[in-house]
Amino acid sequence: MVLRIVCDVFFLVSLVFALAGTKGIIKMPDTFSRMQASTCVSTLGVLGVVIGGILYAAIAMHSASAAIKIGVIGLMIMVTNPIGSHVLARGAYKAGIRPDKPMETDDLGRDFDE
Amino acid sequence: MQKTKTPAVVATFVVCYAFWILLTWSFAAQELIVGAVVSLLVALFAARFFIHAKAGWLANPAKFFACLGFWLFTFPVELIKANVNMAKICFGGCKAINPGIVKVPTAMKSDYGLAAVSNSITLTPGTITMEVAEDPNEQRNYLYVHWINVEETDPQKAGEAIKGTLEKGLRRVWE
Repeated sequence: MVLRIVCDVFFLVSLVFALAGTKGIIKMPDTFSRMQASTCVSTLGVLGVVIGGILYAAIAMHSASAAIKIGVIGLMIMVTNPIGSHVLARGAYKAGIRPDKPMETDDLGRDFDE
Repeated sequence: MQKTKTPAVVATFVVCYAFWILLTWSFAAQELIVGAVVSLLVALFAARFFIHAKAGWLANPAKFFACLGFWLFTFPVELIKANVNMAKICFGGCKAINPGIVKVPTAMKSDYGLAAVSNSITLTPGTITMEVAEDPNEQRNYLYVHWINVEETDPQKAGEAIKGTLEKGLRRVWE
């Protein structure tokens, strides 16, 4: 029973951050800011579910293999996510996408667009 | 292209085999043997792409514990702080933003160090690394970071605000 509550707390935290990220993706004004908001979903939004799932699988289901597989899923998301975000943001910038409202500073544009 | 070296093959083999065991989690003899054969084949072909520096750097206990401490304590704290900030911005109607791309200097020199610090920056919500550039004259590396809420435009101060804690932890591992 206590375990169930602990798992639910982890799931709830994760849901809150996933909701925040989703709202950000819809409401943010430009591509790069939307991408920033999406990072929220794929970090704490995933980690909470992963930790809750590991606890539940290890203690309530007595299944070490399920717990370890959930852990590996979490690790894989953590390792691959920054590379994907970086390539998407860089690709968008190189393809000429700029926010409607000019950015506060744009050092990348200053140094590379002649 | 690099030549395949034996320590690199061994290191790649260990990583592949560890992942095989974690994913199957069965210790029957046939599973272990098939895993070893497949890992060895993969290691022979992929080692030269996977390992670019000394293969056994993590075998040093000081570096190993610094690495563990960073990924288990320092980084999660930063991650949670950044996530809470981002969630506040999002629930506040996405108005409190001031996006911009700043150029920050980094103390990292090696490939692994640069990869670690730029990926840590990307993984914290609110900052994305857009480009890594080297300055051959000054022997320094620079990161171009997209920042959701630009507080500082001075490169040094911005660098401190974006990655001060992260870099301090990572320098113990890689430099």
